[in-house]
Amino acid sequence: MASHRARFLALGMTAVLATGVLAACGSSGNSSASSKKPILIGASLSLTGDFSADGQAYQRGYELWASYVNSHGGILGRKVKLIIKNDNSSPTQVDTNYTDLITVDHVNLVFGPFSSLLTAPSAEVAHRYGFAFVEGAGGAPIVFSEKLPNVFDVSLPVANELDPFVDWLKSLPASQRPKTAAYPMANDPFATPQVQLAQSEMQPLGIKTVYSKIFPEEVPDYLPNADLVAHANPDAVVLGSTDVPTVASFIHGFEQQHFNPKIFIAAAGPDQGAAFTSAVGVANADGMMVPDAWYPGYPSAQSQAMVKAYVAKYGGTASDVNADVAEAYSVGQVTEQAVEGTHSFEGSKLIAYLHSGKIFTSVQGPVQFNHLGENVKAIAFIFQWQDGKFVQVLPANAKGSVKILYPKPHWAS
Amino acid sequence: MTAQRTLRAAGLVVLLAVVAVFPLVFTNPTATLFAIDTLIFVIVASAWNMFSGFSGYLSLGHAVFYGTGAYFMAVAANDWHMNGSAAFELLPLAGLVAALIAVPVGLIALRVRRHTFVVITIAFFFIAQLAASNLSVTGGSSGLILPSPPFASATFNNPFYYLAAVLAVLTVALAWLVRRSRYGLQLRAIRDDEDRAAGLGVRTMPVKLSALVLSAFITGMAGALWVYFIGTAYPMFVFDPLFDLAVVLMAFFGGLGTIAGPVLGALVLEPAQQWLTLQTTGYESEILFGALFLVIILFLPRGVLPTAAEYLTKGRAVLARRRERPPGQSPSELAESRGGSSRS
Amino acid sequence: MGSEITYAIAAGVLGGGVYALMAAGLTLVFGVLDIINVAQGILVVLGAYLSYVLYRHLHINLFVGLLITVPAMFGIGVVIYWLFIRPLRGSERTSMTLLACFAVALIIEGVLYREFGSNYVSINAPVTSASVHVLGIYLPDIYLYGFGLAVLTIVALYLMLYRTGFGRSVRATMQNQTAARLIGIDVTRVSALTFGIGTGVTAIGGMVYGSISGGFTPNSGYDLISRLLAIVILAGLGSIGGALAAAVFMTTAEALVDIWQPTWAVAVFYLAMIIILAVRPSGLFGRRAVRAQ
Repeated sequence: MASHRARFLALGMTAVLATGVLAACGSSGNSSASSKKPILIGASLSLTGDFSADGQAYQRGYELWASYVNSHGGILGRKVKLIIKNDNSSPTQVDTNYTDLITVDHVNLVFGPFSSLLTAPSAEVAHRYGFAFVEGAGGAPIVFSEKLPNVFDVSLPVANELDPFVDWLKSLPASQRPKTAAYPMANDPFATPQVQLAQSEMQPLGIKTVYSKIFPEEVPDYLPNADLVAHANPDAVVLGSTDVPTVASFIHGFEQQHFNPKIFIAAAGPDQGAAFTSAVGVANADGMMVPDAWYPGYPSAQSQAMVKAYVAKYGGTASDVNADVAEAYSVGQVTEQAVEGTHSFEGSKLIAYLHSGKIFTSVQGPVQFNHLGENVKAIAFIFQWQDGKFVQVLPANAKGSVKILYPKPHWAS
Repeated sequence: MTAQRTLRAAGLVVLLAVVAVFPLVFTNPTATLFAIDTLIFVIVASAWNMFSGFSGYLSLGHAVFYGTGAYFMAVAANDWHMNGSAAFELLPLAGLVAALIAVPVGLIALRVRRHTFVVITIAFFFIAQLAASNLSVTGGSSGLILPSPPFASATFNNPFYYLAAVLAVLTVALAWLVRRSRYGLQLRAIRDDEDRAAGLGVRTMPVKLSALVLSAFITGMAGALWVYFIGTAYPMFVFDPLFDLAVVLMAFFGGLGTIAGPVLGALVLEPAQQWLTLQTTGYESEILFGALFLVIILFLPRGVLPTAAEYLTKGRAVLARRRERPPGQSPSELAESRGGSSRS
Repeated sequence: MGSEITYAIAAGVLGGGVYALMAAGLTLVFGVLDIINVAQGILVVLGAYLSYVLYRHLHINLFVGLLITVPAMFGIGVVIYWLFIRPLRGSERTSMTLLACFAVALIIEGVLYREFGSNYVSINAPVTSASVHVLGIYLPDIYLYGFGLAVLTIVALYLMLYRTGFGRSVRATMQNQTAARLIGIDVTRVSALTFGIGTGVTAIGGMVYGSISGGFTPNSGYDLISRLLAIVILAGLGSIGGALAAAVFMTTAEALVDIWQPTWAVAVFYLAMIIILAVRPSGLFGRRAVRAQ
């Protein structure tokens, strides 16, 4: 029987210990920031796990913004201090992190995490404590379906990203349009809706669908899928990809099958700068298209300054700066303008101000929120790799657009 | 003996009292949030142990039941417009659905043993995850959002906390009852030598299957509670392979097949992991966690409690011998104190 | 449609070869040491990173690079065994080794994050885009090499097991450790070497995996391990040749379903395994394949 007692004693002691640790956690940050102290801004980012690549880019974006603000006098005369916690791409941890930031660290403001999948649960926590939740990576419909009043996405809503591409096809004379198209899509809340929308708009233009299938995410290779698309021999491939490896797999598969589509546009991947060209080769990138709201060459002074600061701080070249950085940076900018506009950190005031229809500026262009918190001013662009450079091609009449390369050149190797 | 029993009862009462007053003393939501996550793992680790620890069939697919309960909750709360405390009434139903799923899973998987069983449970896990991301009822890969519970923000966590606490206490009590019963004995007989147990007249399949179904029922309820607390259901989060590993690690950490072991494992490991992730940025937490595990595995190979009990027993034996008495424990008690891990 | 099926079968068979190659080390360790090495996924990824470094940074040919990565991973395997698995004994050994392997996997993953960060890296050698035209279809070179290397590896492992003195010790160890010890075999040494060999051949699988995948991160191991385990279990305990057959069977079934329903194709992979094991619990090739002299 002694062993039983030992067990219960151990259990009791652990409970007491755990309680003590929690008490320590709970009491550590009680002093709330006085006006002289820095403004504390909390964010949870996925520094490990599935979303870690994007999470780390976001971290850089937030940090670049903070150092810019601090070198320009801070916000309302106060310096900014970022507290970033790792959520390991897990919703349980993201809940913990935002609760911790708000109730233990007593942050003044919070910024969003990476991925809609984590934005939805964390927006709920921020809402519970009356915080405005400005974010740059929660553009999937599910985030807005929650209809939380405190959510503001500074980026482009994902469903309409391919609009300029479809508009361009419409503008082509019927004889020059592709005759057939294939739509392989990853089973993903971002990739699938936009490609399906594009398909439904391309079919009425007389572009015949020869392949349209959703394939699972995160399989180690896409050989069978790429083979089947190549076998259908479409003029245009609209790939619902989520990352570089998916696009690279399809490109390798197409090369192996000696299949070269006239148009190849991917929902994500080609926008990843050096990571993309390193995976497929600079020559093979030629003609590859991708929709996005921002690129390192984005013609705005703010954006250029940010890119310069990025290269100065993290090294590399301008093309290494990925759109995540600009999204994160924009979150900071919009929040900053709202705080300066209201002279307040109070959630309810910020929320009302952000909803007021005012137009904010950001490195991604103008930002204005509708009642759901979507950015209605965001403009979708289509970018293309041309001679090793990532350039804006659509909408054709937009500032900064160059002539589209069509048809796509043949694979290099 | 009576003194020890009183002491045990007193310890239990103190423990229950700590659990009961915890949210009143630690009102900070981060504290209660840690506590909820931990209690959910107490429930699941105990439920897992009730099947795998007792029967020796290591399941790496309990996320199937956790996820089934969670998705049932998400769908039902939305479709039947149940929110607040009304949504909590769905928990037993969620458990029931998970238990129903466990029947065919068990009928197939329990035909095989050891490694093959482990891998089959993993396969079931992936099929469930895939189904969740492909079916329309689960919202596919877009997932589902649950209604926000209409609780005040200051005490938002409390209903979840108390519910989790009650479930945890009931689960541990049930595990204790099962372990003491004839049924528990049959399960352990299966673990020690299934063919021999069958030869001795244990109807192994019904015994194993019912343990799995019972375990799935509890796990499903825990999943439903968790998803309502988190507020969103995505396939990759609801069916998370790391969840399975976490549960197994907790049971092993404390002591497989014991009652208090999985509880201890959950109480230590869940807060430790979240805390480590909070304290470190990036890869350090993984390296630290891995290293910590190796240390535990190498130095406490049977789990904390059985190893500690063993040392205690040895100490006692030495004491007893000094008093020129025969060693204090009968062989059966010794086996008990080792968490019954006396499979030769 | 007919030609689509041809493509699917070709992709399935070749893909199966690559999986068998990645699983070869797992099968060996499983069969001989009775260890479920759940670190196999991350070991494949580690092999891929090693090949990546040699190819992209030191410009060493992928195949030549194996002369470096295989011995390096062999060493890593021996060390892992010696430090973390050898001390585990007793009745719960099987489960404890599983946990130890998981802990090792976590550490390797953390170290890879530390060294390479979390961005995708890719090998992108010319061989990944080349193909040959055979019987009216294009067969990708890298998969052909992968298949060839799988066959070579399996043959080499067979020869080692059945034509060398060391192989005899390994088989004796596999059948009965106590008896092996009694006839003077240093079981611990044999086990460590076997674990090392299993890890070493994983370097080959890692090179091919790194080449066929469009990119990988330290996190990629999780997508591999369950498939590799399924193949090994379906094949039956320790049947190395059986792993090739099982892998080809499963990837071909998957590729065929892929024509109509790609989203459910992965489920077919696991369903096929469950159904077969429900009927034949010892797997397709059972114990006999290894035990037979």
